[in-house]
Amino acid sequence: MDQTKQEEDYGYDLFPERTKSKYAKGSIAESLFTFNNKCQVMLHFAMETSPYAKLLLSAMKSSGCQVFKDRHFSCEDCDGTVSGGFDAASSQIVLCQNNIHQQSHMTRVVTHELIHAFDHCRANVDWFNNYRHLACSEIRAANLSGDCTFNNELARFNFGMKQHHQECVRGRALRSILAVRNISRKEAEKIVDDVFDTCFNDHAPFGRIPHTKKDAGFAYRDYQNRDRYYANL
Amino acid sequence: MDGSAERPWRSPRACDDYWSEFRHCKSLRSHFHHYYTHGTSPSCQQWKEDYKNCREWEKSRSAEAKEALQRSERSRVEEQKKFTPVWELRRDPPKDWHCH
Repeated sequence: MDQTKQEEDYGYDLFPERTKSKYAKGSIAESLFTFNNKCQVMLHFAMETSPYAKLLLSAMKSSGCQVFKDRHFSCEDCDGTVSGGFDAASSQIVLCQNNIHQQSHMTRVVTHELIHAFDHCRANVDWFNNYRHLACSEIRAANLSGDCTFNNELARFNFGMKQHHQECVRGRALRSILAVRNISRKEAEKIVDDVFDTCFNDHAPFGRIPHTKKDAGFAYRDYQNRDRYYANL
Repeated sequence: MDGSAERPWRSPRACDDYWSEFRHCKSLRSHFHHYYTHGTSPSCQQWKEDYKNCREWEKSRSAEAKEALQRSERSRVEEQKKFTPVWELRRDPPKDWHCH
């Protein structure tokens, strides 16, 4: 019973396959009845081609947290409409194979979760007990992963122009927190407000807010060039 | 900085990179995104200045150009640090990152 309460407290009930898979891994049933293969293929494509993902993978490798696809990613069936999550307890990124059907969506989710993993790697983030830390990572992930581009917001029927990006980041961070923690909306709003300015301005490892693939490409170029950059400052 | 005098000074970025950043900044899309994010237009002039100084250094090894470029880049680095982190940075990566 204690286990269930803990599961609900930390959002694990959204990821039922964290504790028990429906089909054995690598089985034919898994191949036939789930989107596991499609998920694996899209993940591979994202890691190989997206400048967002490549930059984050590079940065994590330099920080001592090299990411291995088989160890640190897990394609699973999830509840509801959640697309993915970062499980700090097992150092794994969960990708919801039943909710991600387009490559662009996969790339965005991979980037979003890699940002959480990156934060986990470089800082002492207390995911389970410190809501400010959780909020900060969610703000950064919504800000830097392309979650809040104009087009993505349009597709969600959220119309807005001037500084809408910031509203979107706030909103998505709030949603993410409320999905995985048992706190009131008001409390969550206050926490997001508290840490918003500082976390919105933390662009590591991009050095800028990458609005487009081209931005991310430039950021990746800067990252690869960082030795020369800092040596000649 | 210029501590180890083994290697001669080079501009922090390749000159072409400054130019491509300038063109990218001036683009319509970039203006759109900047307005969408910050509510204002981006200021791109500094990239052009940096490009000019970069080429100047390449051509004449002018100390002025070098210093202007360094100042500009240092202020960019400062801009990126304008916040107090909510968490403490680690000294080492998490111990259980690789183990299962």
